[in-house]
Amino acid sequence: MIWPLVLVPFLVGLSIFAFPRRADALATGVGIFVALGTLVATVLLSSAPDETLPWITRPSFPFASSFHVGLGSGLSFWLVLLTALTSACALLTTTTQVPRRRDFVAWMVLLQGAMTGVFVARDLLMFALFWDLMLIPVFVILIGWSAGHRASAWRYLLYNGSAGLLLLIAVAAYGITTGSTDVLSVSVTYLKGNPLGPMEAWLFIGFALAFLVKTPVWPFHTWMPTTYADLPAPAVAVVSAVQSKAGLYGFLAVTTMVFPAATHVVAPVMIVLGTVGVVAGAFAALVQTDVKRIVAYSSLSHLGLILAAIFTFDPIALSGAVVYMIAHGLFSAALFLTLGSVEQRTETRLLRRMGGLGIRNPRLAGALVISALAALGLPGLCGFAGEILILTGLFRSGAVWPTMLALVATVAAAAYMLRLFQGIMHGPEAADLPQRSDLQWAEGLALVPLVLGMVWLGINPSVIARAVPASASLSMDAHTPAPYDTAAFPSVVPPATEALR
Amino acid sequence: MTTIPLTIPFGSQDFTALFPCFIVACGALLVLLLDLLFPASLRRGWSILIALATLGIAGVSALNGWGEPISVFANAFVTGSLTVAFEEIVVIGAALSMLLMYTAGRDDQAAGAIALLLWSASGAMLMAGASNLMVVFLGLELLSLGLYCLCGFVTRRVAREAALKYLLLSSTASAVMLYGMALLFGATGSVDFNALALPSASPVMFDLGVGLFLVGLAFKLSLVPFHEWTPDVYAGAPLPVTAFMSVVTKAGALAVLIRFVGALPPNISDQLVQPLWVVAGLSMIVGNVGALAQTDLKRLLAYSGIAQLGYIVAALAVRNDNGLYSAIFYLAAYTFMNLGAFAVAALLSRDEEEGTHLASFRGLSGRKPLLAGAMTFFLLGLAGIPPTAGFTGKVLILANTIGAGFVNLAVLLVIGTAISFYAYLKIVRLMYAPSFGQGVNVVVPRSRLPWIAIAVCAVAVLVLALHPIVPTGSFATLKSEVKDRVSVQSAY
Repeated sequence: MIWPLVLVPFLVGLSIFAFPRRADALATGVGIFVALGTLVATVLLSSAPDETLPWITRPSFPFASSFHVGLGSGLSFWLVLLTALTSACALLTTTTQVPRRRDFVAWMVLLQGAMTGVFVARDLLMFALFWDLMLIPVFVILIGWSAGHRASAWRYLLYNGSAGLLLLIAVAAYGITTGSTDVLSVSVTYLKGNPLGPMEAWLFIGFALAFLVKTPVWPFHTWMPTTYADLPAPAVAVVSAVQSKAGLYGFLAVTTMVFPAATHVVAPVMIVLGTVGVVAGAFAALVQTDVKRIVAYSSLSHLGLILAAIFTFDPIALSGAVVYMIAHGLFSAALFLTLGSVEQRTETRLLRRMGGLGIRNPRLAGALVISALAALGLPGLCGFAGEILILTGLFRSGAVWPTMLALVATVAAAAYMLRLFQGIMHGPEAADLPQRSDLQWAEGLALVPLVLGMVWLGINPSVIARAVPASASLSMDAHTPAPYDTAAFPSVVPPATEALR
Repeated sequence: MTTIPLTIPFGSQDFTALFPCFIVACGALLVLLLDLLFPASLRRGWSILIALATLGIAGVSALNGWGEPISVFANAFVTGSLTVAFEEIVVIGAALSMLLMYTAGRDDQAAGAIALLLWSASGAMLMAGASNLMVVFLGLELLSLGLYCLCGFVTRRVAREAALKYLLLSSTASAVMLYGMALLFGATGSVDFNALALPSASPVMFDLGVGLFLVGLAFKLSLVPFHEWTPDVYAGAPLPVTAFMSVVTKAGALAVLIRFVGALPPNISDQLVQPLWVVAGLSMIVGNVGALAQTDLKRLLAYSGIAQLGYIVAALAVRNDNGLYSAIFYLAAYTFMNLGAFAVAALLSRDEEEGTHLASFRGLSGRKPLLAGAMTFFLLGLAGIPPTAGFTGKVLILANTIGAGFVNLAVLLVIGTAISFYAYLKIVRLMYAPSFGQGVNVVVPRSRLPWIAIAVCAVAVLVLALHPIVPTGSFATLKSEVKDRVSVQSAY
């Protein structure tokens, strides 16, 4: 029953193109219905068993692949929920913000299907398939609805497409080496001994580059600011909230499983890259003049922190990483949706031409301040829950300098988020502002579940903190000996959760 | 004085094996005959119908040959899974091109063009099973002679230029190939592929013959560095002819390449691996780079075809059964993706002007969303992006090339693919970018037949992607065929 989660968005997305050209409201309604349906279905299916259909089964072929989907109740489950939730919220705001809405909604629904596919894939080749598939809707939205220059679409495609090909070649090589790509399921007894041998390093590099570019992590982030600035608000909300998590999900759930040794070997490098991103993103965000680019660089900072946390393999840091992944999804979606509303009212994204918007738009100001506070890590909201766990875990695992630098970045986060808020909402009212009404019901309604999620996750992070993939919390010692029997897994799950109690 | 009884040395088995080929050639005659009976306005429609029926019969009857290879006509022709796979690709390619025939030429010329197309297809089908140098040449000339005329059968100046260019260059290549055959005959004393595996009288002559033969084939396959003619000829030839050339010629020549290389003695075919993969790698890069700057769909697809053939030859450079399988799979995928793209262009064509200039795709998603969607799907396939057969095919090729240790070839393939993203998605951008009223006028196509081609291609590209299982049985023809031949030969 998991298949419909992926297939229904695809079929519906394609059929929306067949709607009458003016049926914008109908298309939006159907899109939201699909997203909410996915949300409900995911909750209902949380304990559904894995499903497998054969794909490449030629006996003499070097490896077998299958369409294997699974949800479990772990990280995949929460990320699919996040995908559905942000999709629904983003589609709700399209009612006021996007031209040619029917087509836009169709592409967004297709994007939702592709992202869900990435998170439920339990076969590496299928994972790579959906990974590449995510490119297309974003590319088309960039060329069809981009506010700025065309180059952003090509830059997005060049980076992510090339990285996707590296992933593909690595998956193919992995399949040849081990004989099967259907390995992302805990129930499979995999990795008998060390079947990869010297290939492991190269294969890991292929995977890691794809994940680093998609996340993105410094220094592979240069496609991100232009893409985020040019995408229309509903699309960038989804891309920033969910697509950026695909790379982190890849490290947490995929490479820890198929390349445990390599993943542990590169950990120091990744922690350094993440920390550089944390600092560089924070300071870049301080000086940006375009409001969307401020949030884009803040994402670079936050995602770098999560990356560093993952590669400490400390149970607390891992819990924090998982919580912060979902938290970042919620607040970055809310921030971008709010900024979309702001841009619509001010008709500019330049901070210096804004000001005083809060005087006539109190509800909009309220929405922006809550999202900004969650992003800067105010206790009680989701950002804090993730950050405190990550910082504790980082420090505990001995990464003292990254922790110190991350603390500096946290202070900088307060500075750039408040600069953003003040610059838009406070100060003298920009004289040339057109008169527009305050936050409309659809825009407001779209933000409600996100804000509720931020608060809920802020006070009750332990639900998600338990969703650390079992393979990630295995220590290096548990990995290095030859036998990787699945019996090893249950014994290592508890520390992550017990530490929280 | 004894009388020698007059016997026909060939039995029914021989003729059955060649039946698909015969029926297509006879279909051409039927088209020409019935053309005299119909009024001018109906001629084209009826000719297309007859041609499709003939190709249908040929396609179904060819399936009988599936299985172990059987030599017929004194080992001049071989049936079996390998032959059938290529025959089917030829038949499908010809049938899909036939559906585009409304876009080119006057109604009263159509029957002649269709008959020529059928004869060319029968030539390609002959090449699919040829295991004798003379039959290879026969098939090749049957294929090419029709195409020389077809390139010039519309009255545009570029078409005549293309026809002349193709005639001169292609016949030069044929001559080179023929010279190679002559040297091979001199070295081995036989035109039979079997004889290639035997020790030759003069190794130098033999090697030279192999080299010249392969140069001729590389020209037909438009592999780098023998690719220069392709863009000009493709751009000048009428759209359905270009579509036909881009698939059917390649299928025929690939079948010959597979048989010929498989029949060579192991030491020589081992030496050929390196040139093959260098040529394949060059084709991928040159083809994809060349496609970047094109402004005409036919030129773009010509360069893309060079690159795609590079992928296929890369798969073949790994000489195992899976390499063969992935090459054939990719050729089938390429057939559908490429002809689908041509069918879209056919629907954008007017009487005087073919809709292949990239400008005619500007803003297409607004005017014809379904057509734009189909084109996007085919272009994604050519670029190797899921969920298309192009993606699955590339995975198969990548897996097999890496598995056999050709990592550098796999890396070249990935680099070529990354370059090709721009070339193909440039068209997607044109179709989906807001056009601000610069769109081209809506074109009323002369016929809706290309829609059928689009539907068939789209379904095939999707199904092949998700279910890449060519019917059971293996193409383990190379080794077994060669082994049989050697044993036959030594029995002489």
